[in-house]
Amino acid sequence: MKKKSFLVISGPNLNLLGARKTSIYGEGSLEDIHKGLQLRAEELSVQVECRQFNSEGDIIDSLQEAPERFDGIIINAGALAHYSYALRSAIGSTLLPCVEVFISNVYAREEFRHTSVIAPVCVGVIGGFGKKSYLLALEALANLGGA
Amino acid sequence: MAKRIAVIHGPNLNMLGKREVGIYGGKSMEDINADIAAEAGKLGVTVEFYQNNGEGELVSFIQQCRGRVNGILLNAGAYTHYSVALRDAISAAQVPTVEAHISNIYKREKFRHTSVIAPVCIGQICGFGPYSYILGLRALIEERLDPWLA
Repeated sequence: MKKKSFLVISGPNLNLLGARKTSIYGEGSLEDIHKGLQLRAEELSVQVECRQFNSEGDIIDSLQEAPERFDGIIINAGALAHYSYALRSAIGSTLLPCVEVFISNVYAREEFRHTSVIAPVCVGVIGGFGKKSYLLALEALANLGGA
Repeated sequence: MAKRIAVIHGPNLNMLGKREVGIYGGKSMEDINADIAAEAGKLGVTVEFYQNNGEGELVSFIQQCRGRVNGILLNAGAYTHYSVALRDAISAAQVPTVEAHISNIYKREKFRHTSVIAPVCIGQICGFGPYSYILGLRALIEERLDPWLA
């Protein structure tokens, strides 16, 4: 059977992980997260492809192409989560299961971060567990249709 | 010594598998607890289970978790959205707490989009059916551990 393949997208400023606001986002780079995801993917017998974009349009392009190659999506949309209806529409259009991820607990932060406009078109949301949020999301996706 | 985690179910979760199975699935609370216990066994942690429909009882139980358990996995049901008393109890207990929901609360009625307990929890997991609890347990016991970053 073909291995399931998941697309992992990180949005604006996540390329700066480990270099800014480490009290909120922790140490360690996005590259470290991607390495961790690859290791976990092997254990779960799935494949992951990790991408980062600062531009909203680039994320939308990537999402539009996703159904041809992927079985599910993990997205940390960064600040776009709170206002990008274009992203919401793009996720909805993929018809793929999508898991929304946050590194920090957004509900413990500024009020404008308490709303995610993409959450309603995602299967579920995982936030607050540091970089481990991504790993939990991968487990969630791999388990969909299972237990 | 093995970590001890309290798994707490709020109001109406004792009706799982019996009501609104379209939203919450066909598993009963006992089935879900058995799955959590099995996962806890694999992870080498001890779990205890508590369910109550009463807000005051939940507040008392959470208070008693202080200094006694290493973590709380909490599905507060509808209290999530308005019980400031529960929020205060979590704060006061000073036990790392993970908020879990079976359904994706953001897909549902607007009054369910706000969690008053989220700001005092480590994090939130919702939308994955009963598997939300399994993910929550894993999140709790591996808290602040990023072994793959080492």
